Formats: sequence, C-alpha cells, structure tokens
Amino acid sequence: MVVDPELARLLEHPAIWRGRSAARAEVLPTGFAALDESLPGKGWPRTGLIEILVSRFGSGEMYLLFPALAALTRRPAARWCVWVAPAGAGSVTSCQRAYGPEWSAPDASTGRRDFNTLVPFAPALAAHGLALERVLVVRAQQQALWAFEQTLGSGACDVAMAWGQRPRLRELRRLQLAAERGRALGVLFRPRRAAREASPAALRVVLEPAAEGVRVTLLKSRGGARGSIELAWQRLPAAGS
Amino acid sequence: MRSRGIQHDNERPADAQQTHARTQRATPLHAVARRQTPDTSCAVSAELWIGVHLHEPGSIRGDEHLPVNQALERLAVRAQRFTPRVSLVPPDGLLLEVKGSLHLFNGVDGLRHALANEFASLRVQPVLALAPTPLAALAAARAGKPFVAMSMAQLVGQLTPLPLTTLRWPQPTLERLGRMGVRTIGQALRLPRAAFARRFGTEQLATLDRLTGRDPDLPRRFHARERFRRRRELTYELENHELIRASFEPLWADLGKFLEARQCGVMELECLLRHRHAPPTRCVLRLAAPAADVRRLTALFGERLSTLTLPEPVRACELRSSSLVPRVLSSNHLWQPGEHGGGSSAEASELIERLRARLGPEAVYGLRVLPAHRPENAWAGTEPAGAGERVARPKSCHAPWPVFRRPLWLLPTPQLLSERGGLPRRRGPLRLLGEPERIETGWWDGGEIARDYYTAVDIHGVRLWIFRERGSPHRWFVHGVFG
Repeated sequence: MVVDPELARLLEHPAIWRGRSAARAEVLPTGFAALDESLPGKGWPRTGLIEILVSRFGSGEMYLLFPALAALTRRPAARWCVWVAPAGAGSVTSCQRAYGPEWSAPDASTGRRDFNTLVPFAPALAAHGLALERVLVVRAQQQALWAFEQTLGSGACDVAMAWGQRPRLRELRRLQLAAERGRALGVLFRPRRAAREASPAALRVVLEPAAEGVRVTLLKSRGGARGSIELAWQRLPAAGS
Repeated sequence: MRSRGIQHDNERPADAQQTHARTQRATPLHAVARRQTPDTSCAVSAELWIGVHLHEPGSIRGDEHLPVNQALERLAVRAQRFTPRVSLVPPDGLLLEVKGSLHLFNGVDGLRHALANEFASLRVQPVLALAPTPLAALAAARAGKPFVAMSMAQLVGQLTPLPLTTLRWPQPTLERLGRMGVRTIGQALRLPRAAFARRFGTEQLATLDRLTGRDPDLPRRFHARERFRRRRELTYELENHELIRASFEPLWADLGKFLEARQCGVMELECLLRHRHAPPTRCVLRLAAPAADVRRLTALFGERLSTLTLPEPVRACELRSSSLVPRVLSSNHLWQPGEHGGGSSAEASELIERLRARLGPEAVYGLRVLPAHRPENAWAGTEPAGAGERVARPKSCHAPWPVFRRPLWLLPTPQLLSERGGLPRRRGPLRLLGEPERIETGWWDGGEIARDYYTAVDIHGVRLWIFRERGSPHRWFVHGVFG
C-alpha cells in the first residue's frame, strides 16, 4: 500500500491511536518463540487479565506458563506468584461444573464418593525453575473469586492464577480492573465452552493437547494476530529427560 | 492564709505566697497572663474545678436501667459544652476544669446556673462545688454543702469542717481515725505528717496533699466515644444500585473528613438503606485493620451492595461507624512495589492477613521441598516468606529423580483406577508412555511403598501420573496430573 508521505507524517503524531501498533505495554516473554511472535508486544502482557481456555484440566496449560513464571519469580525484587484455589481445591460442584467429574471417584474401601483435592507438587515446581519462596497457595472454597480479586489488586503479587470458576461478565471486569490496579498479571483457567461468552480479558487463548505438545488458538488479543500455533514441548513429560 | 499541722514543713513554710508561686510554676502561660489583671484575692490558683456529685447516677432522664457508667458518660458529654477538661469519677462524680470558661458564662454564678440548667434538662440535680483542686471540689460536692473556694488561700479554711468520709478512704482507716477523734478534714490535716504516713499509709497522705494542692493532681481526661452517624434523605425513591451507591457519595466524603480530622480509622461500618415499609436493609463492613481510606471503604461497600437484594426502593441512606480507633500512619514508598526494587512487604503481609481473616489461617501457605523419595512426603506447606525478602535458597537442592518425570499436581491420596485385561482405564483406555520408574522405599518407618510409576495419556490427551502396585493384587492408581 502506497501511503502519502504527508499522511504518514500525520499518522506519526503520538496523539493518534492506531489499533495494532498501539500495544506497547510491558510484556513478558513466553519462552516459546512461535508464540511470542503472534502475541501483541511479543509476550504475555505484564499486567491485566488473560484467560486460558482448556477442554480438559491438565491439557498442558501449566507448561505453557512455566517459562514466564520461572522468570518472574527469579527476578531480584520478585513479588508473589499466587495460586488461588488450584484445580480441585475448590468445591466439588464448581470443579465438576468446570471440568466434568474429573477428580471425584468412589473411595476404594468405603465406596463413598470422596473428593480428592489436587495440590501443586512443590518438587515439580522447583524443577521447572520457580522460586518456591515466592509461591503462595490460597485455598478458597466458595470465595475463590474474592480471593483472586484481592490478590490481584493488592499490589503484592506479580502473577495470580485461578481455576475452575464461573465468573460473570461483571466479575471479570472487576478482575481486569484489579489486575491493572495491582500491576499484576491475572491468569484465569476456564473450560473451553466459555469461549462463547464475552470477556474483558486482554488476551484469550484456547489450548488443546496435540501430538507432541499443544495447539494454541488466539481467540482474542488486543492488537495481535489471530490464528492457531502448534507448540512442541522441548522436553516432553513422557520423554523423561 | 496559714495552714497548720500537716502542711507544716520545716524547710518550706507553706504560706499563701509560697503556694501561689508553686501553682504559678505549673501553669500554662495564658493562665499567668490572665492573672496579671488586678485581682482582689491575694492568691488566685491556675485552675478552678467544679465537682459534680450525683445522688442517683442511674436515673438520668428517667432511664432507670441505664448502666451507671453510661449515665455518667452521658453527663460528661453534656458537660463538655462548658469545658474540654472533663473527668469521670465513677460511680457518681464528675470533674470539670472551668477556669478558662468562666468569662464565657459571666463568671462563677453564670456558669453554675448554666450547668444546673443543662443537668436539669437531663432531670438530674447534682450538687456542684467549686474549688481550686479537683479532689477538694469533689469532696465538697459529696458533702452536699454550698461550697465556693475560688483561691488556694480560701481552700484549706473551707475544707476544714468537711467530714472525712467525703474522701472515701477505706472503712477501717476511717474507723481508726474516728476512734482517735479525727472526723473532719481539718482534723486530719492537723496530724503530723510522718506519723500519719506511718500509721495510715502514704497513699492517704498523698490524697491529703492532692486535696490541698500541695501535689499536682491531673485527673484523666474524658474523651467521648465518638462515632460517625449521618443520614441522608433522598429526593426520589431509588432502586438502581448504581444510583444508590452514588447517593452515598456525600456521606462517604463526610466520613473521610471526619476521620481525617481525628486521625482515626474505623473497624466496622454499618450502611443502612431505609425503605417505606420493609425494615431497613443493613450492610455491615468489617475491616481487618483500622481503615480511613474512603476510597477503599467505598469500593468495599460497592462490592457488598452489588450482592444485596432490596425488598423495596430506598428512601434514605445512613452511615454509622463503630467507635473510632487511632490510626497508625505510615509513609509511602517512593517507588511502586516491584519497581526499581521498591519494597512490597507491607502489601504482602496485608494481603496474607486479609486472606487469612476471611478464609482461615490454614488456607494460605507457601511451598517447600523435602528430600524424600516418596512423592507424598516430598513437599510440605510452610509459612509464606515476606515478599521482597530474600530467602536463602538451599544450594544442594538436587532432585533425586529426573526433573520432568514429576507431575505438577499431586493427589494427596492415590485414586484407584479401573482396569480391563490388566491395563488401567479412566473413562477409556489409558496409553502408557515410556519406561516405568520404580519407587520402592519407606520400609523403615512403616510407610513402605513399592510402585512402578508410568506416564499415561487418556483419551482426551491429558497426561496422568499413574502407578501399579508391585505386590499383589497389582492394582493401578492415579497419583497426579501433569498439567
């Protein structure tokens, strides 16, 4: 496209805002070159709310985040990396609604349906390079959204993650505002079907397990590209090295 | 005027001039300046106290069931109209320092009259007595006689006939003094100091010293329990939450100014939404620490309001605070937290406190790696370290296993898997990946395990960490999710 030099000079004016070129916010490299390329500003946003939509809990969503989390927690003035109500730690119903009846199975001895909660496994976190002293786990049953908002808005954390909630649009907006206030990155993991709902999140990513990694689809990204990318894990959990 | 007996002190003759000089030394400048105006009496004290004695302190405004202390406090609040220096003397007394307010009420008579009127509006008729020391004023009021001693010079002379019981000494002391024939204050003042102190205790001697102004007496000042309470009638009945929130704005602004002026914060706030017929809707905000930041309170209120369902439109809004608490002020950091190494420990502890206040103390924890082979024992929850604080990271934290063969999520107790033909299933067959890893340990402490761990992929592509028991019956379990 040929642009009139006069017009080009006019468009250079800082007061003029143009969609794609506007995203100049601070970013956080994802650790995956292919993903960096397609994200606005070449990385995860440093502040604000992002959504990662997965069809099944455990589709590889954490591996996608780990390089960024490790870099964040290892900075000299790192703030908290908060895990709010990690998967399964919420109530039975909220988790089942979000991910299907995943982690409730009849107890072998009593036959009682006992809800077994998943906990973040510290050795694996440490092995992926997270500084464990910067990791904070918050178990919130019904009040996970409240805890998430408080955490994001407190200014005490770099990143906060929450699972398995069914936030309404207004609550999502609150979360987005809290994240901006607290200068934190909020990561909300939601089921795949939430893609139909509107969301004020700065970035929405759909994740599906693929043969050698995951397929990442950018559902919404302010000023970024759209489309799918296949990411291969460098070191597959199964490969054992 | 010369006082005798106890006042006799060989080194210091306690004549009037001396008393004057002594009081002058301990008086504020404005009082000294006022004293320089011509005065007829030879010694004018810097203070003038009104003692108030109530015969039935509980019967204020006909409210028989009011606790005595509350009744007194109510009186004290009224008395603060006349002077800022009001003290409570439970159960039935009040002290007012009125030297500074005399000229506002046309002198002593005017003030007494105004006070009597004020108390009459509460339907009490207390006895008032004026004296330069608080204890003397109180004793005189208890004696129930008209008593006005404007200066130190007149004080001891007027105190002399008062009975000793007005000082409320312990009963045994009064009885012993009575057996000695000492029944009035004057008689007690005439006793030799040293012997008096030896026989009746230094405490009683100190009382006499305070009574006559020999020792300074500063009764503890009464501070009214202040609360914020403001109501706003609305021009229209409101149903919209946003509009209701907006109609609270002036109240919040008032509260902010109120708190700022007193350097105080609130711990509890009640917001009342009044309706035409239905009982008012209450919304109580409880805070973990004294708060004075109105923006924060407003935000909190907005949050609570959004969850309320209102039975009827709102006609009036009201804001009430609990009693105020002093606020600890802290300076702000120059840098934002996380910026240029700006500390964020205050926010961090605040966050943890707030979360724990609502979710329980065990709901917030940090993580720690333990050197153990059994997956269940390889981690522990720990007290979170303060943010910004560098924790010495153990250098030799070598994982005893290949790094990427551990799941991110662990089930505290493994879950049994169904199987078909010896192969595990979980809503469909599980595909096993790679070689098994054998963990066989813990035989020494009873928690023996012998398991072959596999990575498995279910039909949805989720990677699971599963194991098969080494011993019979060789059951399969799932123990974690790779995430």
